[in-house]
Amino acid sequence: MTDLLKDKVAVVTCAATGLGRACAQALAEEGATVVVADVDLESARAVAGGLPSGVAAACDVRDDGQVAALVTGTMERHGTLDVMVANTGIAAVSPLLDMTLDEWRMVTSLNLDAAFSVIRHAARAMVATDGGSIVALSSVTGLAGTPLLAHYAAANAGIISLTQSAAAELRDQGVRVNVVCPGWVEGDPVLPRLEAGGLDMGAVVAQTQGRLGTPEEIARLVLFLAGDRARFCTGAVYVADRGMRASLV
Amino acid sequence: MLSDMRGKRALVTGAARGLGRAVAALLVARGARVLIADLDGDEAAQVAADLGEAARPVRCDVADGGEVAAAVATAVDLWGGLDVLVNNAGIEIGKPLVEHGEEEFGRLFDVNVKGVFHGIKHATPVLADGGGAIVNMASVAGLAGAPLLGAYCASKAAVLRLTEVAAIELRDHRIRVNAVCPSFIDTTMVERLVPKFETATGIPFGTLVALKQQRLGAPEEVAEMVVFLASDDAEFINGAHYTLDGGLTGSLL
Repeated sequence: MTDLLKDKVAVVTCAATGLGRACAQALAEEGATVVVADVDLESARAVAGGLPSGVAAACDVRDDGQVAALVTGTMERHGTLDVMVANTGIAAVSPLLDMTLDEWRMVTSLNLDAAFSVIRHAARAMVATDGGSIVALSSVTGLAGTPLLAHYAAANAGIISLTQSAAAELRDQGVRVNVVCPGWVEGDPVLPRLEAGGLDMGAVVAQTQGRLGTPEEIARLVLFLAGDRARFCTGAVYVADRGMRASLV
Repeated sequence: MLSDMRGKRALVTGAARGLGRAVAALLVARGARVLIADLDGDEAAQVAADLGEAARPVRCDVADGGEVAAAVATAVDLWGGLDVLVNNAGIEIGKPLVEHGEEEFGRLFDVNVKGVFHGIKHATPVLADGGGAIVNMASVAGLAGAPLLGAYCASKAAVLRLTEVAAIELRDHRIRVNAVCPSFIDTTMVERLVPKFETATGIPFGTLVALKQQRLGAPEEVAEMVVFLASDDAEFINGAHYTLDGGLTGSLL
């Protein structure tokens, strides 16, 4: 522990499991007070309880009012919001030919609308104080076509664009906004669903990445972008995929 | 997790000045031993002396594959191996494209592109022993065009492609290869370009910088990104180019 984020207050959404949990842990290990927000309050409490300075909060990121309350509550309790990790969404799996408009809307809403709420409310609080750093989690699916995930991939492309517009608007107000695009990572619930959808994900991962990433590896990148080491970085897209996107084949 | 580099042995090209010097200094500060390679051997020696016992100098023209091989061999002689290579050495031409001379265009590619190739080629057999990381200094000039920087832009685009190919070819040898894309940073290279830019665009450089990237970046900020990518913190990051540009390329306006 090097106290990179001593006296900083961070919020991580959807932080009870997977990438969100790993981000909460990485930020807390560097000294930040971390608000572990999740729709599942019990699980959020369990994660927060394991951190040096974790606080659990109930938040359904699909509900703009709850996201507003999360940010307001953080400001009231801690007086500042320095880092927001905008982690949202899950993926359903569906062939495009069978995808209903309801499913399209459900998945894009759960990812992109939720990211909008989280980024907007966090940015408003940061602009009103002394700035801050927002790190959005997208995915390599936002960078290229992905079978069975048309809605999820489109939403992730939307999160990349939203990040860059937010960064362009907020730069002069001291708010940095960046986006991380992980490749295939251990524990991602989309992997078994793609497998069930008929894809051989073991072979896909072996060919494109060689191995799965770990949530902790992605969290170390989020940690870098969250803090002052990345103070000149904003509006940029950071891919972490062991070379998948670098290769044509 | 402050990109701990203790125990790492690094070679940084173009390390006597600017970005390379900042990278070398941060590597030393984080615990690495660093070979300061530069075309100007005297400056390299001075920088190595300034950085203390962990730094050693070597004269090296990266355009010459033999000299790069010799620099790698020096690191192996000194420390028994190499863990990190930072291909940083680079030169610029600040002229309209049609005014670039044949010879200077060739020399720029020899340094900026073949220099990176030489580094990858000669460091790989050594890095492959225990795994390692290569970080190439590209630029936002490799992502889009900029006036007066024809050869430079083309060379940095070439560095990005070399980075990707090396990354996928060397992945199974546990060597990661990534690139960094800074925008205008407070270096003597940018200083040299300022009057030329002002003449070409008619806009004061300060205004352009404020509009596009808020301020000049600091070499230390680029160094943080390079050291992060060189460190074990970036184990899953390969074949990527990481931009740090104060928002320049992320914004349409």
